[in-house]
Amino acid sequence: MNATVVYAHPDPESFGRAVLDRVVRGLERSGHDVTVLDLYGLDYPGAISPAEWQAYGTGSPIIDPTVAHHARLVQSTDALVFVYPTWWSSMPAIMKAWLERTLVEGVAFALEGPRNRLTPKLTGLRNVVGVTTYGSSWWYVKLVNDAGRRSVLRTVGLLSAGRARLSWHGLHSLDGQTARRRERFLDDVERAMGALR
Amino acid sequence: MSRRVLVVFAHPSRESLNGVVLTRVLDGLRRGDHDVRLRDLYAEEFDSRLTLAEKRGHLDPPETKPQLTRDFDDLRWCDTLVCVHPTWWGAQPAILKGWFDRTFANGVAFTLPPGAKNIRPALTNVRRIVTVTTHGSPWRVNAIQGVPGRRIVDRGMRAVCHPLCRTSWIALYALDRVSLSRRERFLRRVERRMTRL
Repeated sequence: MNATVVYAHPDPESFGRAVLDRVVRGLERSGHDVTVLDLYGLDYPGAISPAEWQAYGTGSPIIDPTVAHHARLVQSTDALVFVYPTWWSSMPAIMKAWLERTLVEGVAFALEGPRNRLTPKLTGLRNVVGVTTYGSSWWYVKLVNDAGRRSVLRTVGLLSAGRARLSWHGLHSLDGQTARRRERFLDDVERAMGALR
Repeated sequence: MSRRVLVVFAHPSRESLNGVVLTRVLDGLRRGDHDVRLRDLYAEEFDSRLTLAEKRGHLDPPETKPQLTRDFDDLRWCDTLVCVHPTWWGAQPAILKGWFDRTFANGVAFTLPPGAKNIRPALTNVRRIVTVTTHGSPWRVNAIQGVPGRRIVDRGMRAVCHPLCRTSWIALYALDRVSLSRRERFLRRVERRMTRL
């Protein structure tokens, strides 16, 4: 299986980086081909550019070769895995920018018919996975609501026309966790990645 | 009562419908005799990406982040926050999510007392949050996606504002299909709501 891991964290020495390493290890152990898109490492832009916005309505919305490359990856991948820290109930801006620039019309969906009906195009996608760390506790995340989870699982999930299996792994209260519980989270994530089919 | 209103605009083009919305927001505010500060994130080329130094120093006091002084000052000055933006992928454009990520900082938006598990509100000067947004997709699609953008602001950001802070979400759906007269009705409603804040 081909797996594409989209990763956003500015700190290469963070716990988030450790999460990424274990995600990759879990996937590779099961013989999957893994491509990691390390958005901060790629110095990926933090927003759609004005030129890209102009191009959006033209039928060829991709004008950046990096975006074209990522779009091709997404179209042929079996699993999309998002790894990020949750900030203000959702993903870091750089990852939101990746969604906006990559999952464009013609890649992720088509608009068809006179009423511009949204038709999903990532129908080959078998797994959509989110792995995140929260600064806040479980009840706080539930209370203010987990918008990132919705963005990943519902919005991206929608593009597979319901064919992808959706799964979510979150570690709450990151700073208050003992080393043992952090380690257990990493083990669980690695095992879950290895079990993806 | 005249209010101190911080308007944050997140769209690459003032020539767009969102640019028109912004004009009507500002017209409405002027008519209501409110004090207004405008932040146009694209025009300022705001970098939405939280930096490595900001991540590592995320619990340091605001004085350690001189690059965000103006943002902190604006946030502390206002009693009303008005966000004007298109909804992309069910949420705020990345540039605006990044503005939240970077400027809702420790000592400005929240505090984290020693031993506390969750953040405490510090932006208690903010008593109103208004979002004025346009959705490409119809209301139904947004409902399936779970409207993560609305949750980010109306729950996540609101949680650090005044305990009685009110939120409103003024939205135009199915942008491409909507008639000119409905569009105009929406703009008039926006203007009226701004005058009467």
